[in-house]
Amino acid sequence: MPDRLAKLADVLVGYSTAVRPGDVVRIEGHAPTTPLMRELYRAAVRAGGHPEALVIVDEAIEALLEEGSDDQLEWVPLDTRWNLEHGDVWIVLDGPENTKNLSGTDAAKMARRLKAREPYQQQYLERFARGEFRWVLCGFPTQASAQDAGMSVEEFEELIYGAAFLNEEDPVAAWESFGEELERVGSLLETKRELRVVAEDTDLTVGVAGRTWIRANGHSNLPDGEVFTGPIETSLDGTIRFSFPAMIRGRQAEDVVLRFEGGEVVEATARRGEEFLREMIGMDDGARRAGEFAFGLNRAVTEYTGSLLLDEKIGGTVHLALGRSVPGSGGTNESGLHWDMVCDLRRGGEVYADGELVYRDGAFLDGAG
Amino acid sequence: MRDPRVESFAALLTGYSLGLREGQVVRIDAEESARPLVTELYRAALRRGALPYVQLRPAGLDEILLREGSEEQLAFISEGERVQTEQFDAWITLWSSSNTRALTRADPERRRIQLSAHYRMVNRRWERISAGELAWCGTLFPTNAHAQDAEMSLSEYEDFVFGACHVNRDQDPIEHWEAVSTELTARARALEGVRELRIVGPDTDLRVVVDGRPWLPSDGRHNMPDGEIFTSPVETGTEGEIYFAFPSIFQGREVEDVRLRFSEGRVVHAEASSGQDYLRALIGTDEGSAVLGEVAFGLNYEIDRFTRDILFDEKIGGTMHLALGGGFDEAGTRNKSDLHWDLICDLRRDGEVYADGELVWRAGSFITEPAMSGTGA
Repeated sequence: MPDRLAKLADVLVGYSTAVRPGDVVRIEGHAPTTPLMRELYRAAVRAGGHPEALVIVDEAIEALLEEGSDDQLEWVPLDTRWNLEHGDVWIVLDGPENTKNLSGTDAAKMARRLKAREPYQQQYLERFARGEFRWVLCGFPTQASAQDAGMSVEEFEELIYGAAFLNEEDPVAAWESFGEELERVGSLLETKRELRVVAEDTDLTVGVAGRTWIRANGHSNLPDGEVFTGPIETSLDGTIRFSFPAMIRGRQAEDVVLRFEGGEVVEATARRGEEFLREMIGMDDGARRAGEFAFGLNRAVTEYTGSLLLDEKIGGTVHLALGRSVPGSGGTNESGLHWDMVCDLRRGGEVYADGELVYRDGAFLDGAG
Repeated sequence: MRDPRVESFAALLTGYSLGLREGQVVRIDAEESARPLVTELYRAALRRGALPYVQLRPAGLDEILLREGSEEQLAFISEGERVQTEQFDAWITLWSSSNTRALTRADPERRRIQLSAHYRMVNRRWERISAGELAWCGTLFPTNAHAQDAEMSLSEYEDFVFGACHVNRDQDPIEHWEAVSTELTARARALEGVRELRIVGPDTDLRVVVDGRPWLPSDGRHNMPDGEIFTSPVETGTEGEIYFAFPSIFQGREVEDVRLRFSEGRVVHAEASSGQDYLRALIGTDEGSAVLGEVAFGLNYEIDRFTRDILFDEKIGGTMHLALGGGFDEAGTRNKSDLHWDLICDLRRDGEVYADGELVWRAGSFITEPAMSGTGA
């Protein structure tokens, strides 16, 4: 196991964030990730960087959301601010001890906290798009995430490490060759003006003309494997039903259905968590618009796990994020929110590009385009 | 499971030691094993209207850097750290090691490079503390590693630590420490005007000149637990011999049965039953390391035993400690050194202290006034 952690650390430091001598490297993760943090720290030292590692204290966030005043909720800590404004590399490890620890918190307070962080979020993503800042979010298998996925932690480890290509002899080479596949999809989509997604209870058109499709091959997420863009903000029309529960910051809404008109959500329902959904969508104007539309393309991720980082990469799905668009994708939507929701197209789903069927049952058709 | 003592501890540290006020930025530094106290501190700081944030570090990173880092990496302090040092209003350090000896075998020269960079940052913080711009408190959260050093079980050690901080009972610990502060201040004032102390005990007869040096109370603002009064002696006045019955520890290494002979303020002879070479090397660190930088009375009677941790040991009620090396500016010192090594002298059985010839202390307590902190509470 330590071998695999060291291998993962090498991918994150050597490939995902390409740490260079002199880089200030901030490594952050939940308590169960400390064995990986040590390997990352070592790898970053060997790469000539200046790492620091910090354990995320979930109980503090919980206390803040429970007891914080508006001023306290809106305050961004000095170290967080400095990292987002001036840091070189940021590695975040998602290895929760309890994925539902924030279930009981006040959604309005959560929205206030997220909203206050928007300028910093925007700034680091812009720095990333300009190549001044490198960051990666890495999934780490824990008992809690395995429990959500309905499997043992060892089974979940296999899933996550498999999806990160760590079972390959040379994971970096595997990511690079996977990049070629993403490139084919990206260059196909770049020639299209409008996509139409059709599935059960879903018929949605999305304008993408002139927008950039980003090939995500392990640089800012691990596991990774998607191609995404910022859709034209006023273009979305129709309805989409999300197959998997929509998760954000330890909270969720189940069986979400959104109806768009002129790019804006005009109707939002959920079988569970509808009030939370509405609170999030009501955060600001941008939260009612889509900031991202994406195809999940990682074939090593085949089943829903309740871990968004994996679920949005499932080969054969699309996802849409309400809120902030990602700098570099051409999207211009601004919001404190960025909430990804996944729609499974593997059984009967279709995508038309400028009227032509290009994708069916979770895969692009041979010769599409 | 939340321990009510930890909650009370957090209220004491934020309310009394740091005196946090609304809108103040407070940084909480700790190793991961202190997480229960970190959480309570964060919550207590929120309740006082402050803006808390946490730097919780995984164990085991320093040894990686010491083994593998270049000199430049060892000495690196990030710009972010510098910016924070200028900006936060309060800062709390929790010592909560998971292995107190993790760095014992690290290369001393590489460790020195790392520490000297670190001390530059610490010194800047002390400048801000002295200027009244920054509140700082260092304390300990009990772990098995510290309990092991103290030769106790974790739960025994927790009782010991929380007892020494007075957070283990119904009485409001803030009231207790305010009373301690009043007592220590009065005691320090009573020693003003004393020109010379004579310490007499087993194999000990030492004269320490303190003429004109202010005595200061350590009352739980910068350390918790606390409970001592101290000054920096006149550099040329120390004469005689002293025996330290407790092991003397510096950076994890122990020296046993230290005996020192002073003449005109300087150590002229040093011996120990074990670690004598290390003792002599430390005394030879620099010009100031053979001279006393501190003389102090330990007055926390809830600390009743030696636990191999200076945070507690120097405050053992009934002891005195002397530090070789750098003294305190606020106590009028002129002695500069990279060393500051506290050596603890147990005076609880047979010790006597004379102030300008008058007996003021016998068998572990001052005789001129009622017992000090702790026993009366």
